[in-house]
Amino acid sequence: MDAAAGTAEASEQKPRKLISPPRLSESWRRRLPLLPALLIMIVLTQVPFVMSIYYSLTDWHVVPPGPRKFVGLDNYSHLFSDHFFGSAVWVSVQLAVIPVLGSLVLGTAFALLLDRKFIGRGLVRTLLITPFLLMPVVVGLIWKNQMFNDLYGVINWVVGKLGGTPVDFVARHPTMAIAVTLIWQWTPFMMLIMLAGLQSQPPDVLEAAKVDGATPWGIFRQLTLAHLRPYMELGILLGTIYLIQVYDLVAVMTGGGPGSTNVPYFVFQKSIGGGWEFGQASAYSIVVVVFSIIIATVSLRVLSRLLRGEETV
Amino acid sequence: MRGTRALSVSAALLAVVGVIATGCGGSDNTGQTSGGGGKSKGGSINVAIVDNPQMKDIAKLTPSLFTKRTGIKVNYTILDEGTLRQVTTRDVAAGGRQFDVAMIGPYEAPQFGKSGSLVDLTPMAQSDSAYRLGDIIPAVRNALSADGKMYAAPFYGESSFLMYRKDVLDKAGVKIPLHPTWDQVAAAARKVNTAKMAGICLRGKPGWGDLGASFTTVLNTFGGTWWSAKPDGSVDKAQVNTPAFRNALQFYVNLVHDAGEKDAANSSFNECLTQYKDSKVAMWYDATVAAGLLEASDSAVKGKNGYAFAPVEKTKAAGWLWTWALAIPKTSSKQDLAWQYISWATGPQYLKAAGTRIDGGWAALPPGTRKSTYEIPQYKKAAAAFAGPTLSAIAAAPISNPGTTKRPGLPGVQYVGIPQFQDVGNQCTQQFSAVIAGRTSVDSALGNCQDVASQVNS
Repeated sequence: MDAAAGTAEASEQKPRKLISPPRLSESWRRRLPLLPALLIMIVLTQVPFVMSIYYSLTDWHVVPPGPRKFVGLDNYSHLFSDHFFGSAVWVSVQLAVIPVLGSLVLGTAFALLLDRKFIGRGLVRTLLITPFLLMPVVVGLIWKNQMFNDLYGVINWVVGKLGGTPVDFVARHPTMAIAVTLIWQWTPFMMLIMLAGLQSQPPDVLEAAKVDGATPWGIFRQLTLAHLRPYMELGILLGTIYLIQVYDLVAVMTGGGPGSTNVPYFVFQKSIGGGWEFGQASAYSIVVVVFSIIIATVSLRVLSRLLRGEETV
Repeated sequence: MRGTRALSVSAALLAVVGVIATGCGGSDNTGQTSGGGGKSKGGSINVAIVDNPQMKDIAKLTPSLFTKRTGIKVNYTILDEGTLRQVTTRDVAAGGRQFDVAMIGPYEAPQFGKSGSLVDLTPMAQSDSAYRLGDIIPAVRNALSADGKMYAAPFYGESSFLMYRKDVLDKAGVKIPLHPTWDQVAAAARKVNTAKMAGICLRGKPGWGDLGASFTTVLNTFGGTWWSAKPDGSVDKAQVNTPAFRNALQFYVNLVHDAGEKDAANSSFNECLTQYKDSKVAMWYDATVAAGLLEASDSAVKGKNGYAFAPVEKTKAAGWLWTWALAIPKTSSKQDLAWQYISWATGPQYLKAAGTRIDGGWAALPPGTRKSTYEIPQYKKAAAAFAGPTLSAIAAAPISNPGTTKRPGLPGVQYVGIPQFQDVGNQCTQQFSAVIAGRTSVDSALGNCQDVASQVNS
């Protein structure tokens, strides 16, 4: 949000120089009622963050209880030599990239179907959105027990009927099991974004292309996809921001371990999940925040470009 | 035009943030109201317990047997073992003030007691004549005490032993001695293992109290240890990369792969209990408390089971010692009410009253805490098959000398009595569970675990 405010200010800078002092106070008078809200927001979000930065510079054990010692950047230098953190980062990357791309492809396909008129379209749309409305914990339990389980899961029942041997998917392939579940949950999100993109496509251009004798595939590839590109970028970036924070599915489906401990779960284990090393855990989470801010900044650029693009249309 | 657009977008964003923020606040509020509610005559207390069958029984009976008499409303939070530990450690050790009574065990009680986070229950227990402190089995009381002060009141006590289906093993011509070795048990498990019924159920679920407990008793008797100890009892060096540790893990993993239960990497006490009761496994090495559930009046395998001591290899006894016990955090403002509850829940009266009221009948009573339990005629009859083995297993648990070498920290069989074991045990059992699932090799798991264990320095 900071970045958006920044770009807005930047574009307003030129006219502001021309504004005379009395009008400036006028604008401040207008902002005044917002200040308490701003203050509360700073106290609620930024103060804890600054405290986390301080904690990340200390050695703070709760179990066994010991005094909090200032250790400078030790926690951060330790971070890069910790291969468990390294593998958690790798799992986080996999759990962001695979679901984002998978749900983007599926979401685009469903959006293309929903963009056509057919009987019961409203009902189908509602059903397709449902996975996104379920609680992540419920989604995790459904997939772990009803879909993937090797004794009574639906997938293994089908595998058994087809003559294959059942596989304990969650235990054998935890990363893929979680990724597939995330694709199922996030496809509706991508579908909605793509649908918005498709419906904002100007019909006259499509008609003109048809009149000029373009094939449906040619229209899709050269016009629709080009039009959808900024929407895809937005979906990828928003999806990535959410998916690098996935914790619930990991906790419910595998409870951590190699191949499923991602960065949020790792931070949990280092802190209240048994490690009780709040100093180190703070350092890890600060690093995650920095990466998230970088991704968020990029995504907000895309968002503002999208809004500007619509203005010109 | 552009201004209004930007405004509407940011308004939508703010609305979303607002909804999330209120959502977070809301959950806190509900927690508080449920805690303060029901203040009719006796007030109310918040209690955290583990989700094993005996605890679910007492939660069901509390309103009729306890609240009706005292007016004290008990708000239960029932959690699985791993989550309970996170919550109690946060609440007790870090002063969370959420619970008036928390269920802990011999790993936590002496540590938290010594650090001053728990109320010493000895004076209250001594002045409460109905509680009969002297009736508690000494080994169990000692495990929950430090410097002669009892910091938690035992709800049930257990060791570990081997349970097996006599009918299945007889049919296969396999005999299990009263004091078996792991080699004998492994051979028997492989012999009776079929596609429909696995040879043995062994815990494979990550967690120091799950896979960690079963495995550490195997490790002890194979001559291995997590850490060596300095003469003063502090941690010396991590021993995960030693041959003895490797042998123990390889043995455990091989046995599970060859003759273990289905879905082993997700199985712990409750999962094995279900599979054993469904005749999906022929043997089961786990807590003695399971026997009461196998012989309960509603059990399908009642009367078909044999019981043997925990299998050994290089030591004389290998069974663990554990008790789920109730403690009062120092931060609780309702310590009197909390003791009234504990005195009822862990006292002799509950045991007598519950026998006729719980689904499993007399056999399913919480065992292993009081000598008087074993004098109740109905219990003696219902528990004839396992009461003796349970008591001798608890007495035989080698709590102060579990292995072949000196251990660091406070006494313990299936865990190491140092605060860091919780974290090391959890991380390492995640690695071992991955080996059981077939995702990684014994070598890589041991290498990673050695790294984790080496980070502990006293």
